[in-house]
Amino acid sequence: MSDIEQTISKVPAEIAPFPHLAETWDADLAPLVCERCDWTFLAPASPTAARCPHCHQAELTPLNNTEAEYTIPTPGLAQPDLAPPEQVIPFSLSPTSLESSIQSFAREIPFAPGDLNPRQLRSRLQAVFLPMWLVDAEVQATWQAEAGFNYEVVSHQDKFEENRGGWSTRQVNETKTRWEPRLGRLQRNYQNIRAPALEEHNLLQAQLGPFDLGQAQPYQKQAIQSAMLRLPDRTTQDAWPDAKPAFQQAAVEECRQAIGADYIRHYSWQAEFHKQNWTLLLLPVYTTYYLDDEHKPQLVLLHGQSGKTSALRRASLKRAQRTSITLLLIAAVLFLLSLAVSTASIFLPPALAIGVLGIVAALLVGLGALIPVATVWWFNRSQTK
Amino acid sequence: MTDPFPPPGYVPAQSRLDGIEIFMPAPPESLPQPEVVDFKCPQCGAVTAFSASDGGLTCSHCGYYEAPEKAVVGQRADQFEFTVETMQRAAQGWGAERKELACQDCGATTTIPADSLTHTCTFCGSNKVIQRQAAQEILRPRFLIPFKIEPDACQKIASAWLGSSWMTPPALQKLAAIAKFNGLYLPFWTFGATTRAGWKAQVGHPRTERYYDNGEWKTRTVTDWVWESGQATLQIEDLLQPGTGRLSARLLKEVKSYDLSQLAPYEPKYLAGLQAQAYDIPLEKAWDSGRQEMREETRQACLSQASTSQVRSFSMNLDFADESWRYVLLPVYLATYTYEGKPFQVMVNGESGKISGQRPADWNKIWLVIALLLAPGLLLGLLGLLTIPLAGAGLAIGGFGFILLVIGLVIAFILYNKASALDDL
Repeated sequence: MSDIEQTISKVPAEIAPFPHLAETWDADLAPLVCERCDWTFLAPASPTAARCPHCHQAELTPLNNTEAEYTIPTPGLAQPDLAPPEQVIPFSLSPTSLESSIQSFAREIPFAPGDLNPRQLRSRLQAVFLPMWLVDAEVQATWQAEAGFNYEVVSHQDKFEENRGGWSTRQVNETKTRWEPRLGRLQRNYQNIRAPALEEHNLLQAQLGPFDLGQAQPYQKQAIQSAMLRLPDRTTQDAWPDAKPAFQQAAVEECRQAIGADYIRHYSWQAEFHKQNWTLLLLPVYTTYYLDDEHKPQLVLLHGQSGKTSALRRASLKRAQRTSITLLLIAAVLFLLSLAVSTASIFLPPALAIGVLGIVAALLVGLGALIPVATVWWFNRSQTK
Repeated sequence: MTDPFPPPGYVPAQSRLDGIEIFMPAPPESLPQPEVVDFKCPQCGAVTAFSASDGGLTCSHCGYYEAPEKAVVGQRADQFEFTVETMQRAAQGWGAERKELACQDCGATTTIPADSLTHTCTFCGSNKVIQRQAAQEILRPRFLIPFKIEPDACQKIASAWLGSSWMTPPALQKLAAIAKFNGLYLPFWTFGATTRAGWKAQVGHPRTERYYDNGEWKTRTVTDWVWESGQATLQIEDLLQPGTGRLSARLLKEVKSYDLSQLAPYEPKYLAGLQAQAYDIPLEKAWDSGRQEMREETRQACLSQASTSQVRSFSMNLDFADESWRYVLLPVYLATYTYEGKPFQVMVNGESGKISGQRPADWNKIWLVIALLLAPGLLLGLLGLLTIPLAGAGLAIGGFGFILLVIGLVIAFILYNKASALDDL
């Protein structure tokens, strides 16, 4: 059993997978939903209840396949069945190889919550695939742009030195760009243009960094056997405005190649898109969590290829407060003792010095008691920023 | 109604990818140009020629007149960059070979210099403009300033100029036999560039100090040298450099004040009945000269930034940017006149009428003036020598005479040089 398989929570056996899913995906998968955070998943059928890998606060419940709680209104996907993804980027890091990422995440947190430790984080790792839309289309367009062609000019750099006999000249070749208008017609097929399938895709991408899309492989059931699959929450209609600029970007690059130009700018087009075909690409991430002061799970996301971590690192204010109170108590006891010693100086004058020193020390310890709370406040504030 | 595609003025261009059609702006009309353009009157078939008075074509035989098409582009005239390709091909030039030209009017065959842009058939007098292949398209003359001064006006200008100097013979104006002024388009290069320079130098600040020497206080001037630095940026436009080395550089320099805002696109008709030369100083060589002028101008701009005029250990780094050039034809009139059997050359700016040329010097008059300049000093000096026995008065007269002699010598030297240069080329 692989590392990834060990981390998987299983879906209750009584949840019958969609019959069509088994056929088209060639795997026993069941659609599940988290009632708390509304994330929907496909997960391998299993006798035990799965915990939501996003909020980690609720167990996943089966999606009612007859009421079609989950639908993807796209011409490429028959409802309520889900077509299998076209491509999958496999996990290139196993949970054990994430050790250094987890260690560095948990390190150097002042007064870290008791639950925030590498062992706990590791034991809760859950492999999840995030979806991304891939769209193919035939594009017919008229376009216009400015094409930039590099060329070389001869220039000069001269130097005058009175002490070395006057002028010296150096000829240099400089590269310049000549811009020329071009326009044309385009009829091309573009495949696997990407568009976000999740509302929070851009945020996740910003936090985790880019995925190496060159590692994408055609879908095979083995690739997803041991992971949960997040289902899209954006329809293809929602994703289309994001796909169009990507189509244009692909067209810009092809037009540049067709012209034989070095650069292209001010590109505009009037395009018609035909024969759209929407499929999915799966991106690998791990999720885990730790419990904060209020015993609420805090989500930790790890990039399945680079191991980059994204999560809120929160210090424990409760632990800091306990430390501060302890210090305050010590300061109070020291203060009282010093007072007593100072009083005794009526009979033994040299004791006054000890008493004063004790009072000063008590004040310093009392002030020092503020440090733990202030440190945690500052740390949590900086993390929130 | 949909707009046509591609829009007018666009032509197909090569595409490197299937499924992508490309259109580019049509290149400027490249109608096949005849190698020789004849200017014949459409009414009587006689020869027409360019008229400097209004820029039209006139037939001196039947009076036919073709109105001018005034198209002045001035300093908006296209400028070209120093591309590697241009520099390589510009150096080739048109060589010095000669070419045979068969006149289509009378059939006579004439041999003409390869760099002639115009020709008037010596047998039938027909005016021809020769549009030979340049080493590169952009090395054809693209702009010119048309003649604005009539040949008749040149006669008057020359006549006035001949009589304008006291150093020339009094009869020069009357006796000089000025030949016909020939209009000639001369090749010029214009250059533009931005020069950016950073400089550093020791600048001297003089101050007076007192010092004690041999029991007394004295003053002296000492210079404190302080390092200074600065930056200068100059935008130099339309620096003119001659494209021909066959005419006197002095005369060209004196008449080359052209108003480049009057540049017009090149048309063969401007050359009808006139002579024109292609460049024989290649672009690179002319640019070398132009660059030297530009860097010297920039050096002067840097020096002017120094806080005093005493500068030493001056150094500067100069970077040329946005270098550009044009190849233009500018109008001059050339004529020779003879005086006492000796030929002299005159050049008149065909646009402004500014004149320069050779003039004979009247050496009798000049020597007389020199003698008059030196005489007071010599006489007083002599008188001073004779009156030395009178002690103080003799010395004073002699000293004054010496001063007058020195002044006379300096003025005489200047006069002599000026007179010598009168007939220089």
